[in-house]
Amino acid sequence: MVRTPLRILTVALVLLVAAGGGFYYYWNASSPRSTCESCHEIESSSALWAQSGHRDFLCKECHGTALSSGLHSLKEKGMMFVDHFTGGGPERIALDEEQVLEMTENCRRCHGTEYARWLSGGHSATYAAIFLNDRHNRAEQLNADCLRCHGMFYRGRIQDLVTPLSQKGPWTMAAAGQSNQPVIPCLTCHKIHREGSPAVPAEYAEPGKIFYSRRGSPSTVLFYDRYEKIHVQAPALPVLKLKENARDVKVSDDPRQRVCVQCHAPGAFHQAGTADDRTPRGVHEGLSCPACHESHSNESRQSCINCHPAISNCGLDVTKMNTTFLESRSPHNIHFVRCIDCHTKGIPPRRRPR
Amino acid sequence: MDSGSRISRRDFMKLATLGAGSLSLIAGCAPKHPPGRRVLSDDDAGLLGAIADRIIPPDEWPGGRENGVVSFIDRQLDGPYRRFRGDYRRGLDAMTGTCLEKHRKRFESLSAEKQTRLLGEMESGGLRDGGWKEGFSKRFFEMVRSHAMQAYYGSPRHGGNPDYASYRMMGIDYPPILGQNRYRF
Repeated sequence: MVRTPLRILTVALVLLVAAGGGFYYYWNASSPRSTCESCHEIESSSALWAQSGHRDFLCKECHGTALSSGLHSLKEKGMMFVDHFTGGGPERIALDEEQVLEMTENCRRCHGTEYARWLSGGHSATYAAIFLNDRHNRAEQLNADCLRCHGMFYRGRIQDLVTPLSQKGPWTMAAAGQSNQPVIPCLTCHKIHREGSPAVPAEYAEPGKIFYSRRGSPSTVLFYDRYEKIHVQAPALPVLKLKENARDVKVSDDPRQRVCVQCHAPGAFHQAGTADDRTPRGVHEGLSCPACHESHSNESRQSCINCHPAISNCGLDVTKMNTTFLESRSPHNIHFVRCIDCHTKGIPPRRRPR
Repeated sequence: MDSGSRISRRDFMKLATLGAGSLSLIAGCAPKHPPGRRVLSDDDAGLLGAIADRIIPPDEWPGGRENGVVSFIDRQLDGPYRRFRGDYRRGLDAMTGTCLEKHRKRFESLSAEKQTRLLGEMESGGLRDGGWKEGFSKRFFEMVRSHAMQAYYGSPRHGGNPDYASYRMMGIDYPPILGQNRYRF
């Protein structure tokens, strides 16, 4: 019998495609319990995911498939198999920056409103906008700690990112591919593999008890610590201890604010108003950042009306008062303004609202 | 090509089918351990948690078990501490054996006083029978204590101390709150 190598090769190819395709389809369509979780390296992540609000999504929805990013993902997934059998896997499995940025696009598919708000606010700034800022770079030399709050997922060093590292420009991106990437993606403040709130139907037989039967929901806000490469839950973050000279400033214990102050922080001596501190003082002392700022856009145009319906305690429309809310060059910063700043001759007695 | 190295069409089909079929076996590689753990069984984890709670007892702050000692050891036994797997296996089995022999109960079911006394014996090398030969009880205790401390006071990235609970207990603010920019727009 004459063998025809071409025929054998064709049959082999067909079999390979059929087997590989079938396996690929099965792997990406089945429950993680019978696929990804088969590797014990994945189990702890998977256990957390199973408790999260994203538990109905398959792994591929966020992590992609072995072919979704071409050779890159094929190599990565292939290496996972190699590591599984050689025991050479990492201590913790984490996304690299490229995958974190891909995730941002996946978040957008379902969280379009939040994405749009984030895009319109200050936290969607790009690497180029932050690291090529002429005014900043002449005032303060770029250094490794910049990456703690801007580009926390970047795996390189600051010198790999921007050049020169001096206060004399002009500055250019050494990592040109980073230029248009956001420095604060979704996963800075959010994490998918975390405890969620299980769906529990309300008990309508006794509507008055619905409130009392509710469990407290775990915080959805976290902070990504670049140095340890882990997320810390907002309630576990330290509360800012702030001084105004010798006086202790009353700081809100809102867990969300603890995330804000990780980056919008005072200088080393924790004196109010130093460095990037915006902690409310004066008439707003004790309020938290999210009391006025929308979480994703940081927008605060509606903030006055939320707490001052129409009029203030003084009987004046607070939105028309001389503060930075109305005019960016006002000497009365909305974060720090006091009654005495406007009432320089003494604070008048409270008037009845008109 | 000589005829000896040739493969018949039938053999090729058999091999190809086997090869393709074996791919699906990877998915059938069912986890051998409870969800969330890599090495330790439920019994191992329960025993180790009870030991951890005696070494670092809970008070207003979490004890060893709650603060991730078991998950730290479990994760490390699958990584840099793979070399200690045998010692843990031997020590946990010996501990269970000793408790059943002396008290007819597992260590986890003993009162806190009895647990502490037993661990004291272990620490001093007083346990010599069964799996504790050649001074193993002292070595095992020191190993578990050392790993419990690493878990409790180390970085959460290694599997213990979730959300830096021990840092808060010691009054250490972490991550530190530290502003950077010294200019104003």
